[in-house]
Amino acid sequence: MTDVPRAVDRLDDLVSLDTGEIDRTIFSDQEIFDLEMKNIFGRAWLFLCHDTQIPKRGDFFEAPMGSDNVLVVRQRDGSIRAFLNTCSHRGNAVCRAEEGNVRNFMCTYHGWTFGLDGELVGVPGKSIFYKDKLDLSKHPLRKVAQLDTYRGFVFATFDETAPPLEDYLGATGRLGLDMIAERGDMEAVPGVQKFTVHTNWKFTVDNVFDYYHPQITHMSAFSVGLIPAPPDDFVEGGAKSDTGANLEVPFLPTDLHNFVVVGEYGHAISGPDQESLEVTAGTEPFAWRHKPEVEARLGRHGGRVAGHPHIFPSTWVTTNAQLSLRVPRSPDVTEIWWFSFRDRNSSADEQAASLDSQIHFFGPAGMLEQEDGENWAQSTLQTKGLKSREIPQLLKMGLGTSEVVKEDGLAFMDAPINEHAQLWTYHAWREWLRNPSWEELRERTIPRDRY
Amino acid sequence: MTIEATTKSTVDAMVLQHEVEQFLYHEAALLDSHSYDEWVDLFTADAHYFMPLRRTMTRRQLHLEFTKPGEMAYFDEDKNWLEIRAKKFATGTSWAEDPPSRTRHLITNVRIVEDDGDELAVHSNFLLYRTRLKNDVDQWVGRREDRLRRVGTGLAIVKRFIYLDQTVLQSGNLSTFF
Repeated sequence: MTDVPRAVDRLDDLVSLDTGEIDRTIFSDQEIFDLEMKNIFGRAWLFLCHDTQIPKRGDFFEAPMGSDNVLVVRQRDGSIRAFLNTCSHRGNAVCRAEEGNVRNFMCTYHGWTFGLDGELVGVPGKSIFYKDKLDLSKHPLRKVAQLDTYRGFVFATFDETAPPLEDYLGATGRLGLDMIAERGDMEAVPGVQKFTVHTNWKFTVDNVFDYYHPQITHMSAFSVGLIPAPPDDFVEGGAKSDTGANLEVPFLPTDLHNFVVVGEYGHAISGPDQESLEVTAGTEPFAWRHKPEVEARLGRHGGRVAGHPHIFPSTWVTTNAQLSLRVPRSPDVTEIWWFSFRDRNSSADEQAASLDSQIHFFGPAGMLEQEDGENWAQSTLQTKGLKSREIPQLLKMGLGTSEVVKEDGLAFMDAPINEHAQLWTYHAWREWLRNPSWEELRERTIPRDRY
Repeated sequence: MTIEATTKSTVDAMVLQHEVEQFLYHEAALLDSHSYDEWVDLFTADAHYFMPLRRTMTRRQLHLEFTKPGEMAYFDEDKNWLEIRAKKFATGTSWAEDPPSRTRHLITNVRIVEDDGDELAVHSNFLLYRTRLKNDVDQWVGRREDRLRRVGTGLAIVKRFIYLDQTVLQSGNLSTFF
């Protein structure tokens, strides 16, 4: 046995808001992962799917909830329920498909049959073998503790003491989902992209807020015009190729004007300020948000968001009407699930243009995301080395230089590119792992006045 | 039908099969040698290159297994997008392919299922084996439905639909062509 203290016993040391340093062990330690499954994914409100993915009675979609899989099912009365995809008899999955439409779920092991509401409605041999002594009402599919929707986004939690969904999301989380919902009468585009990256899930979340990496990681996408080319006067040195050539990192004007929101329970938003983005990108792509009623609903500060909202622990809202779920499967395997949305009332041409951009930016063949996975996979690998893992992970950019303004229920900072939102996420992550009461958790994740 | 005519049609079919197979092997060789510009040149200006999503569905609902054009996909490309992708690989800063992956496109079960004189419908199976860095290995198996057009003295690709034999992709990206 090693004499190194277990990571789960030294949570205080793993994240420092003061130095901006993170212990690399958290990205590969099995006990940390198990604790995450229990104290974070076993309690948090988790995104399952969108209302429009299961429009008809009997429609279902299988969604991950931590280490479990649940079936999200449209009921006869139009409501939605979710239950664990495991037979109450011997545990077999009662549904093998990822999505579809059924009248009931029959376990293919012994034929126990469950209604759309999860109730056990049929047991072969109930009279002959069980002698009618089995109380069917005691063996339904096990339901999630709470399920609710916010503007069509379906969430559930395994914790019956969790606060209501809207309170959990708070102003920050709701604003994130509003960035899709406010675009129109939104429906899910058929088809959820799913792929597997050999990385710890926290790298995939951290990256959501990282506006420091595109200029290097996605340099080739800039080069072919996928992202509007920045003006020359923002070129700054620092990075050189392996032949010594200056890579002329093309910083964007927006990189000096980022807008960061941090919220209770660990939600955050980070990225460009809308007004500065429109200087280079123009206002045309943002027509949907320049309607008076949308501006009123987003609010004076919400209307400035042009970056990436993230709902703790693992749901990212893009600027392109997509939602990405990061699904932890083991300490070093994470699935990425992409949900894409379109406005039912937009024209066929507009829908085609929207889909074209969704397909070409993100997903495994997306010309941005192609480059991300290997960064995360290699970063995860290096957290396993006996010596490599002793090096702290650095999140020091902008540390201690930003005032937090609290208005309209939001806590926000104006700053050049920074690492505030990442550090905020790790801080909240650590507080979740301590497994406090919901009230304690909320108090410990109330933003301070300066970061 | 005379013996001579039967023999002639069989020989014609064999010649055509040979021509199509050689075309597909040539194309695979271009991809495996990272000659993407030349590969894109094999597509017509009106080409459509499409890889749908696949979902595990029950046998009863198997007709819904693949997404269709207009729905979400992994690839939904016209020739312009294929050119942009090729150009991106050539920038020297496309890190997902630097160091480059080592790929081998194995094309089998080539069947000409339709021939209207101008265009051919050609189905094939593939195994794309990719290794990256020291020990990353990806394998994609699937089938392709191509539409090939006679142009000048050779063939060109009008349509390629790629159906992967995976639902949850087991790889971290698809930074390659199929």
